[in-house]
Amino acid sequence: MEVRDGPAQARTERDPTSHHLAEAPDHTVSETNPPVFRLAVVALAGGPGDARIVRLVSEVAKPIHAEVVAVHVVEVGWSLPLDADIAGRSEEVQQVLDAAEGVAESSKVRIEPVLLQARDVGAALVDEATERDADLLVLGLPYRKRFGGDFAIGRTIPYVLKNAPCAVWVVREPIPEDQA
Amino acid sequence: MIGGRQPLRGRKLGDRRVRVERPHAAYFRWSGKGRMTAKAAASAPTTGSGRAFAAIRRFFLGRPLMSEEELGERLSKKKALAIFSSDAISSSAYATEEILRVLVLGGVAALTLGLHVSIAIAVLLVAVAISYRQVCLAYPTGGGSYSVSKRNFGRNVSLIAASALLIDYVMTVAVSTTSAVEQITSAIPALHDERILIGVAAIALITIGNLRGLREAGNIFAIPTYLFVGSSLLMIAVGTYRIVVGGEGGGYPDAVVEEALREAGRTTAEGVTILLLIRAFAAGAVALTGTEAIATGVPAFQPPESKNAATTLAAMAVLLGVLFIGITFLAVNFGITHLEFPEKQTVISQVSRTVYGDNTVPFYLFQAFTALLLFLAANTSFNAFPRLLAILAGDSHMPRQFGLRGDRLAFSYGIIALAVVAATLIVVFNGETHLLIPLYAVGVFIDFTISQAGMIRHWLRERPPGWQRRLAINAFGCTLTAIVAVVVTAAKAPASLIVLVLIPLLVLLMLGIRRQYEGQKDELHVREDVVFAGPQREQRAVVPVNGINRAVVQAVNFARTIAPDVRAVYVTEDAEEGEELRRRWERQLPGVPLVIVESPFRAIVEPFVAYLDVLAETWPPDREAPVTIVVLPEYVAKRWWDRVLYNQTARRLKAAIVGREHTVIADVPYRRDH
Repeated sequence: MEVRDGPAQARTERDPTSHHLAEAPDHTVSETNPPVFRLAVVALAGGPGDARIVRLVSEVAKPIHAEVVAVHVVEVGWSLPLDADIAGRSEEVQQVLDAAEGVAESSKVRIEPVLLQARDVGAALVDEATERDADLLVLGLPYRKRFGGDFAIGRTIPYVLKNAPCAVWVVREPIPEDQA
Repeated sequence: MIGGRQPLRGRKLGDRRVRVERPHAAYFRWSGKGRMTAKAAASAPTTGSGRAFAAIRRFFLGRPLMSEEELGERLSKKKALAIFSSDAISSSAYATEEILRVLVLGGVAALTLGLHVSIAIAVLLVAVAISYRQVCLAYPTGGGSYSVSKRNFGRNVSLIAASALLIDYVMTVAVSTTSAVEQITSAIPALHDERILIGVAAIALITIGNLRGLREAGNIFAIPTYLFVGSSLLMIAVGTYRIVVGGEGGGYPDAVVEEALREAGRTTAEGVTILLLIRAFAAGAVALTGTEAIATGVPAFQPPESKNAATTLAAMAVLLGVLFIGITFLAVNFGITHLEFPEKQTVISQVSRTVYGDNTVPFYLFQAFTALLLFLAANTSFNAFPRLLAILAGDSHMPRQFGLRGDRLAFSYGIIALAVVAATLIVVFNGETHLLIPLYAVGVFIDFTISQAGMIRHWLRERPPGWQRRLAINAFGCTLTAIVAVVVTAAKAPASLIVLVLIPLLVLLMLGIRRQYEGQKDELHVREDVVFAGPQREQRAVVPVNGINRAVVQAVNFARTIAPDVRAVYVTEDAEEGEELRRRWERQLPGVPLVIVESPFRAIVEPFVAYLDVLAETWPPDREAPVTIVVLPEYVAKRWWDRVLYNQTARRLKAAIVGREHTVIADVPYRRDH
């Protein structure tokens, strides 16, 4: 398992232009270079960072013709059945995947959007990556400005890092200028 | 998968997830709150014939482009110069000849003034080009003189400008195509009888090129334009060197002039007169046709559109001026005028023969480039005409379809309309250039004059820094182009008068179209302050039936869902049969009254319509008339060729009641399991 701190670290601490990573594929997972990956599962959280990681993965995937699967997991509480009709009817949920598809298309890459309902996001991501035999799982790490600002690592990222059967990239959100 | 949700097990015990199906994803994308964007699949044809037609279109025109790809279709200055200037630049191939054809009537003394006339025309070109540069910068939405005159003179004058332009664009296509075909048939006389076919085929090819989109058209048409420009500049440079440094060329020998006069049916020269010079000026002013095209097509340029268009226009004017004066300079110094016998030789071909040498490779290449460019001169109109139509359509002066972009973001309807009209002209005028020429170039000078007059008004109103100088340029150009418009019309009369009749007819047509659209708009207008409550009118449904079958039952059931008052109507010529149906009807469809209309004259549609009339009249006059929904049961045939066998009566019924007051038609198709 390998952990990347995202393109911002590969370049400069404050550089928000993560998409330039595609121009330097040797900065990515080195033991599989080239191709870097054959199939990547990208986890979408529904936040502003989604576009960044989709663009990054698309630009890396494009020259090596790798497949990209974008997964958005809707967590279902225990008070509802797992197969309750929640995500399918929600415009906002569908928009998360549609927006990712649009970003990938602008990079001339076709992605497969997948919508899941699960009790636990991390487990669903790992299971989806396992089932698809993915060799890369990409997650975004958002930066929370509140309380002095920090990266909200939550419980999904640690779970994925511990359990994923493939390489994992954690792409952190750039730190805002005023908090850097 | 159950209800679009597929349960899946995870690696660990208890890890489960549900994959949710996204049926919209194949066709649409949510692009905002309550907003969906259609994907290519949603626009794809669904029938077999539609798919076949789409495949043919894709083969000839390429894949459909998304609207957001429009910016990628915009033209760089280099491509725009080729696309919008092929008409103007190609006129340098024959403008010199037009001057010399007139001047030769004045003898050697007049012919030596050819260069002076061409310089005078170049001055006019500068004035027109400066004026249109200002138009590009002041009116970035395109439309050229139409936009200028609309802003400064109002609708009627702008429509005169638009009409003149439209006529001239059509004539440009017809004339340049027939002229290019003549170059081919001159080289291969055996093809003379096929000239109409060749001309129409050439227009079809140019049409396809343009339907493929601007950028591809630029790729196709740029090379011949630049080859002509390059080889012409080389010819002018070599020729000028030989004249200035080598001392070659000695003007016109008497024998050449006498021969030309004899060909013109004269025995003596009429001498140099002001009238002769004005006529020569008017004849050579044909070089200016096409100058306005760039100002019409400003939105086709890459950003910054106005600046790029203005720069391209300046480059085109410089190129045209250099080519025109250069070719005239060589012709006059080498003593060249047109020859009809023993074989027709154009002035430009004689100039290139003199410079490059007779029967040499450069000479033949130059001739080929010239012929190709003449063919492509039509292409300028294929870009400007549809854009002007689109702008006119936007102002409701033309059918709205002209404002729609096709699969490749080109204004397909305008392109096809231009091709059809130009091809028709070629067929009607038997593919003869000399029959078409009198109609040519009249409109464009009317247009130049209106445009420059509009710019005078623009400067007087806006008064930006340096407006006096600009106004003076436009006033000078306006006066010159007005004179040329009168001279050209007079010199080409009576045929040119057709254009003067066509212009007001087109103006009336465009005003009529606008009146129609405005009338419809007023009719459909909804005040913004009105809030509409839910429907309050009563509804009733009438179902014409031909018996009891699945299609009828489905239609009756549908009618029951939309109205409380449902009745079925059976029109028959056989009363007994009707009663038999009634017995069955009351048993199988209780609660829905069946009205049997006996029709001894065997008509079906008319008695049904008469029944609707009676129904309407029996409604209490003190209550608002209800909406009568005529529910038509229709059987959907499996194959398209089966369709002729079914629903003919329903079709006639529909035609009879469509547009009827308070009546709505609802088709209820019955589709058996295909």
